[in-house]
Amino acid sequence: MWFVRFLSSSIGKKLIMATTGLLLLLFLCTHVAGNATIYMSSKVFQSYADELHSHPLIVIVFSTIFLFIFLAHIGMGLFLFYQNWQVSKSRYSVTTRVVKNTFSSETMPYTGLIILTFLIVHIFSFTFSSSEVPISVTVKELLGGFFYGLFYIVSFIALAFHLNHGFWSMLQTFGLNHPRYNDAISKLTLILPLFFLILFAGIPLYFMTGLGASY
Amino acid sequence: MSSINLTLKIWRQHNSDALGNLETYDLDDVHTDMSFLEMLDILNEKLTKEGKEPVAFDHDCREGICGMCGAVIDGIAHGPEKEVTLCQLHMRNFSNGDTIVIEPFRSRAFPVKKDLLVDRSALDRIIQSGGYVSVNTGGTPDGNSLPIPSSNAELAMDAAACIGCGACVASCPNGAAMLFTSAKISQLALLPQGQAEKKQRALSMVAQMDEEGFGNCTNAKECEAVCPKGISIRNIARLNREYLFAALTEG
Amino acid sequence: MELNSRVPSGPLADKWNNHRFSNKLVNPANRRKYKVIVVGTGLAGASASATLAEQGYEVQTFCIQDSPRRAHSIAAQGGINAAKNYQNDGDSVHRLFYDTIKGGDFRAREANVYRLAEVSNEIIDQCVAQGVPFAREYGGTLANRSFGGAQVSRTFYARGQTGQQLLLGAYSALSRQIHAGNVKMFNRREMMDVVLVDGKARGITVRDVMTGEIESYYADVVILATGGYGNAYFLSTNAMASNVTAAWRAHKKGAGFANPSFVQIHPTCIPVHGDYQSKLTLMSESLRNDGRVWVPKKSDDKRPASQIPEEDRDYYLENKYPSFGNLVPRDVASRNAKEQCDEGKGVGNTGLAVYLDFADAIKRDGEETILKKYGNLFQMYEKITDSNPVEEPMLIYPAVHYTMGGLWVDYDLMTTIPGLFAIGECNFSDHGANRLGASALMQGLADGYFIIATSVANYLGTNSLDKVTGTEAPFKDSKQEVEERLDKLMQNSTGGPADKLTVDEVHKELGRLLWDHCGMAREEKSLEKALEELPEIKKKFWDSVYIPGIGKDLNQSLERAGRVADFLEFAEIMIRDALARKESCGCHLREESQTEEHEAKRDDENYTHVSVWEHISDEDPPQMHKEELEFEFVTPSQRSYK
Repeated sequence: MWFVRFLSSSIGKKLIMATTGLLLLLFLCTHVAGNATIYMSSKVFQSYADELHSHPLIVIVFSTIFLFIFLAHIGMGLFLFYQNWQVSKSRYSVTTRVVKNTFSSETMPYTGLIILTFLIVHIFSFTFSSSEVPISVTVKELLGGFFYGLFYIVSFIALAFHLNHGFWSMLQTFGLNHPRYNDAISKLTLILPLFFLILFAGIPLYFMTGLGASY
Repeated sequence: MSSINLTLKIWRQHNSDALGNLETYDLDDVHTDMSFLEMLDILNEKLTKEGKEPVAFDHDCREGICGMCGAVIDGIAHGPEKEVTLCQLHMRNFSNGDTIVIEPFRSRAFPVKKDLLVDRSALDRIIQSGGYVSVNTGGTPDGNSLPIPSSNAELAMDAAACIGCGACVASCPNGAAMLFTSAKISQLALLPQGQAEKKQRALSMVAQMDEEGFGNCTNAKECEAVCPKGISIRNIARLNREYLFAALTEG
Repeated sequence: MELNSRVPSGPLADKWNNHRFSNKLVNPANRRKYKVIVVGTGLAGASASATLAEQGYEVQTFCIQDSPRRAHSIAAQGGINAAKNYQNDGDSVHRLFYDTIKGGDFRAREANVYRLAEVSNEIIDQCVAQGVPFAREYGGTLANRSFGGAQVSRTFYARGQTGQQLLLGAYSALSRQIHAGNVKMFNRREMMDVVLVDGKARGITVRDVMTGEIESYYADVVILATGGYGNAYFLSTNAMASNVTAAWRAHKKGAGFANPSFVQIHPTCIPVHGDYQSKLTLMSESLRNDGRVWVPKKSDDKRPASQIPEEDRDYYLENKYPSFGNLVPRDVASRNAKEQCDEGKGVGNTGLAVYLDFADAIKRDGEETILKKYGNLFQMYEKITDSNPVEEPMLIYPAVHYTMGGLWVDYDLMTTIPGLFAIGECNFSDHGANRLGASALMQGLADGYFIIATSVANYLGTNSLDKVTGTEAPFKDSKQEVEERLDKLMQNSTGGPADKLTVDEVHKELGRLLWDHCGMAREEKSLEKALEELPEIKKKFWDSVYIPGIGKDLNQSLERAGRVADFLEFAEIMIRDALARKESCGCHLREESQTEEHEAKRDDENYTHVSVWEHISDEDPPQMHKEELEFEFVTPSQRSYK
C-alpha cells in the first residue's frame, strides 16, 4: 500500500517524527497556556482545571489521541535511534564532528528519554492523583519539594535542548529551508525552547523559592 | 618550501572479506607543497622499494572534479581543509611530528574493497533509478525555447556541482546519502525540463537509496560541512518537499 | 594500408545530408540482434552508448574507473562551441567550420570539420533537454562567452565546470539505458586488446582491475572512446588513468595511427614544483585577458618580483605581438614562454616559469572587479601554491594538455580495421594540428550523439557478419597474449625490489625524454637523439622494473606498468612522426621551419597530408602512409598574430 510504503521510507519515517513533533509542540502550547494560570492565582488555576475536567469526553478523546501521538513519536524515535546506532557503532577509529554546537542534535534520543521519564512521573503525579485533593494544592505540595522540583527543572532543560534541534529539524524535514526565512528560523530555535523553559521551569522555581507562598 | 616528518596510521585490508587494521608508517621529508595524494605516492614508492605492498587508493583527475579520491583523515572526510577533495588537500595543513590517521570512507552501502578503496556503485544505482530527464537523442526543442530564470539556473548549477565522491555518506553519523540524492533531485526539480517526471523521480530515487542500505537523515549537517563542492542541505529540504508532495499525490 | 577517407561527394554543406540518405540503415526490430561494445565513458563514449541503446542495439560499455561519471571529460572547464548565433554577431555554421579548420592550421579534413560545425547546434539543444544547467541571461536565454581563436561569442558554459555538466548529462542518459537494461555496464575494466575475427573487429579482451581476471567480450561492432595519450609525458593535465593502451593495442592489430606528434601544450598551467609532482593543473586561458606576462630582462635575475623595477622587466608577448599581445593563441604563448626560460630568464625555484601579473589590472579596475572575474581561479591557485595572486604575480608554465593525433578514421569514424570505430579525443579527425578552446567537448558529443549511430547502422547494413560467441580461436589467442604479457611484467619483478626501479621512475624518465625532445619545439638532431635513447629506457623498463603483489588481484602498480609499457612503444611513432614532418604547423614547431621572426612556417606543398602510421612488427620500424588533404572550399593561409 502506498501509505505504508511512504511511511516506511527513510524520509517517511522522518516525516512521522516531524509531524508528531509538530502536534506535540501544539500540545505544549495549550498546556503551557493552562499552566501559566498558576502565576495568576490558585483560584484561577483551579477553575481552569475544573472547567477542563467538566468535559470528560473531550479530555478522554484528547488524551487518547495524544497518547498515540506520543507513542508514535517515541516509538519511531527509538527505532531510528536503534537503526542509526547499528550503522554508526565502531565505524572509524577517529571520529571528528566538523559541525559546531552539535550538542542538541547529538543528544536527541537522550533528551527524549529524559522527557519520557518525566512524562510518566508527571502523569502518575497529576493525572492520576487523588481526586479528593484539589489539583492546585497538589501542585504546590509536589513542586515545592526540592528533589521533585529539581527533577522537573532538569526535565524542562532537556525539553529545551530537544526543542532546540527538534524545531529546526522539523522544519527542514517539512522542506522549509529558505535563505529569506533561515535567520528568523534560527532565532526561533532559541526563542521557542527558552519560552517553554521559562514558563514551565518557572513553576517549580515559583514554589521552591517561596515566591508562590501566597498562591 | 619546507618539509615535515609524519607518522601515518593507514587502514590496511586485503579484500572485502579480510579483517583490516591500522598500520603505522613513518614518512620523513614530506614537502609541504605536496598534495595529500602525492604524499601517498611517495609512501607507496617507499613501500615498493622495501618490498611491501603499496596502499591501494582511488584517484584520477587530481584536480578535485572527478570525485574518485577520498578518505577519512583524522576523522574528517577529505581532511581538515574546507571545500577541497583529498587530491587538493596540501601537506601545509599539517605540522612536523603529526600523526595522521587515514581510513576509508565507510558506510553500510560502501564495502571496503582494499585498503582505502571502497565500492561506491550504490551511488550510480541511485542515479540509474531516476536521476535523469527521459529524453532520447535527437528531436529536442531549441535550447532557447524555454526561458529559465538565471537565478534558477544558478541554483540548479549549485546542486549539479556534486562530484559523487561520497564524502557526505562517509561523514554522516548515520551513513545517509541524502545530500547526494537531493543534489540530483534538486537540479532537475529546479529546471523546467525536469518537471514531467519529478514525482516519479523523487519516489524511485528515494526507494533505491533506502534499498542500498544508506542510513536515515537526522539533520546533523555533517554532510554539508565536508562537501568539497559546498552543496547545501537546502537541497535536502527540497528533496523532502518533493518526496512528500510526490508520495501524497502520485498515482 | 589502404586509406580511403570515404568523404561523400557534393557541395560541402550537403555532404552530411547526402551521406545520411545514401547510408544503409538497420530496421528497428533487427537492431536488438546486434551487439555493440563501447570502451570509455567520457563525453564520446557515454553519449554513444546511450544513443545506440536508445535506438535498440544491445550495448556493452566498459570503463576503467569505479563509475562511468569519472571520465576525464569531467575536468574540462571553459565551454562548448556551437554555431547558434544567439548573439546575432555574425556567426554561422560556415564560420565555425572556418575558424576550426584555420585554428587547426589547415591540417584537418574539410568534410569532417564541416559536419562537426553542422551538428554543433543540435548538441546544445540535446544538452538543454537533459537538464544541463547552462549559464543564462537574466531574461532566461542561454548565455555565451568568447574564446580564443574566434571573433564571435559562441561558447556555451556552465560556470567553470562545463565538461562536468555535459558529462553528467551524457552519464544520466547512459544511466537511464542501464536502468532499462539496454546497456550492460562494466566498471573497473581496462581494455587490453581488440579481437579480430576474419579481419573484422569482433570483441575485446579486458582485465578486471579488481580481481586481475582476464575476460573476453564479443560484439558486432567495437567503438573506442578511450581519450588521448598526453600522459606519455608523465606530467600533463590529464587524469592519472588516461592512457594510450586501448588505442595502441588496436594499432598493433592493424589500425593506423594518425599524426601522433600533434600534442597541444597549454600555456597557463601551474609550474612543476618538485620531483614528487604527479600532475599539472590548468589555469583557465581567460586569465590572459587581464594578466600581463613577463620575465626579468637579465637572465638569472634572482630578485623577487616585487623588487624588479619596471625597466628591468620584459613583457615579451606585448613587445613581440603588439596587436594580440598577451592574447596570442595557445601554441604561440607556450613557445615563447619556453624560449624565455631557455635563455635563463625563467623565474621561480626551478627557473621554469614566467610571471602572469595582475598588478596593473588591479590598479586599473580595482581589486574587487578582478576578484569577481577570477576569484575562483585565484583561490585555486592559492590552494595549490600558497601564494596570493593579488599580492604577487602568478607563476605559470606550459603543460601537455590535449592530443590532436589519434587513431586514423574515415568519414564514418571507422579505423582501418573494419568494425572498429574511434570517437572523441581517441581519433584524429577534427582538430588538425591545433585545437581551439571549447572544441573538444563539441567533438566528443558530436561523435557520440549524432554521428556514430549512422556509421554503425551503415556498417551493419552493408556487412554480413558471421555469428561469434567469444570462444573462437582469436578470442582465446588474444586472452593468452594478454596473460603472457602480464606474466612477463610480473616475472621481471621476481627477486625482490633490490636494485630495481619503480614504474613511476621509468615513466618519469620517458616523460623527460619526450618533453625535452618532442615537446614544444622539435629539431631534427634532438629528435634523432630521442629515438636513440628510447630503446635504452625500454630495456631498462623490461629488465629492472619491480612490481609488487600478484597479477590476479587488484594491483595498481601492475596497471601503471602495463600503460607505461605501451607508452614506451607508442613514443617511437610519436618521435618518428615529429621527425618526418619537417614543416611547422599548429602546435608542431620544427626549429628548422620558422619565419625570420621565429614564427611557425607551414610547408603546404610537401606536408598537406595526414601522416598515418602502420605497425609492421615489434622488430621492424613502423611504416608511414599519407592521406593527402584537399582543400576545395577554403584556402590555406599563413596565421599571423602580429
